Amino acid sequence: MLPSDKYDMGNSPPEPRRTAKSENAQSRATQGNETIHRLKAKSSRGLYVIALFIALSIGALRDFDFLPSFPPKVHDFLGQPPSAEMISTALLIYSFSAIILVLSRMMSGSEKSAGFIQVAYLAGFYFFYHFAGALEENFWAVFAAGMTILGLESYHIWAYCAEEIRKEEEMLAGRNRDKNNHDKHDD
Amino acid sequence: MLRTLSSRAIVPVAVAVTGFVVVCCILLYSVMKTDMVNDTIQHETNLTDTVIKSARYAMLKSDRETLRNIIANVGDQKGVEQLRIFNKKGLIKFSRNPGETGQLVDKKSAGCINCHAGPVPKSTIGSMELARRFTNEHGVKVLAITAPIYNEPACFNAACHFHTSEEKLLGTLDIGLSSAPLLKSLAIIRSRMIIFSIMVLILTVGGVAALLRRQVFIPIRKLTEFTSEVNNGNLNCDLNGISGELSDLTDEVRSMALKLRSYEQEIQELKKSRFN
Repeated sequence: MLPSDKYDMGNSPPEPRRTAKSENAQSRATQGNETIHRLKAKSSRGLYVIALFIALSIGALRDFDFLPSFPPKVHDFLGQPPSAEMISTALLIYSFSAIILVLSRMMSGSEKSAGFIQVAYLAGFYFFYHFAGALEENFWAVFAAGMTILGLESYHIWAYCAEEIRKEEEMLAGRNRDKNNHDKHDD
Repeated sequence: MLRTLSSRAIVPVAVAVTGFVVVCCILLYSVMKTDMVNDTIQHETNLTDTVIKSARYAMLKSDRETLRNIIANVGDQKGVEQLRIFNKKGLIKFSRNPGETGQLVDKKSAGCINCHAGPVPKSTIGSMELARRFTNEHGVKVLAITAPIYNEPACFNAACHFHTSEEKLLGTLDIGLSSAPLLKSLAIIRSRMIIFSIMVLILTVGGVAALLRRQVFIPIRKLTEFTSEVNNGNLNCDLNGISGELSDLTDEVRSMALKLRSYEQEIQELKKSRFN
């Protein structure tokens, strides 16, 4: 009996079951590729955060002379700024706790990151020092703290994404192997 | 390179320790610098009081020659860059530099603006606000104090009757000392802190790297080489020199290799017996 006769006699062809399975495999492959794409985009986010911080630091290095000064009423409303010593103590505690937080995320393998929020905190320190009139003496302390914390965050996210991409690629390769074995078996 | 186990273990530690030590050193230096500048200002304020007290008798007796000598002698001291006495109108009456005598100083200039910012000059001001820093025409960094000379009962009761009792301020003494010794001390402190930071970094990062290499990376490399040999069919290679938690893993890998070897031998014997 010729292969085509089998179908002429009313036997149902195995194509629909095989097509559904291969469609599932294809959609899983597409999902996997999308995940890898998303992870690759995420892994370079740290660089954008560092670039934003460096831009902010350039402004701070000039003591924000390009920004207009607050009117006297706003100054009166804000009141006396905290002393430089208080701000430095806060910076020390913030740096220590932020570094511990990033290291604990590395240890737990967490995906969480707070890059842009850290830039906001560091901007706060720049502005507090600026209003206290001590930005020139303490600029490098804030800059060093920022580069350390943001550098660690970037490295953590990059390492996490690299690991997840590797796992995803292994899964995709495994599925391809299974698919090829299954196709050979069917043939 | 950043994906290797050693870099993943050492890079975060190095960055965290480096960054935190640098931040601490910068903040500490900033605090020490502020304290040293405040101490220098206090020392200069004391010197200003000493000059005023030294010149008091000469001023009471209206002995301008003696006053001129006092200003010249103190002004000749090493480190004194400027020394002058203004009257209430801002006219320089006595100066270390005779060429300045008779010149009028602008009330809005640095050193005067602290008291003369508003329509009514301030009668009292804190010692830190009396200080100002600038670079003079010779390129020397100067820390200057402008101190008021207040009226006293002995002044307005003196025989010359020059000052009335209503005048609160008789004049101003302006003294400027070279900041070179202060800057030199700060530079020495800065370099010592840099050296200390580098030593801490080398010890911390080097110590962590050395211990990790000895206790983790070398045993893992030996295990990797051993399993690679077994995978390539060499079942006679040996694995030793590993201790600690990794020794359990070593024992398991070694026993797997031994079992493989025994199964291999059994298969060879079976094949021989079959052909025989």
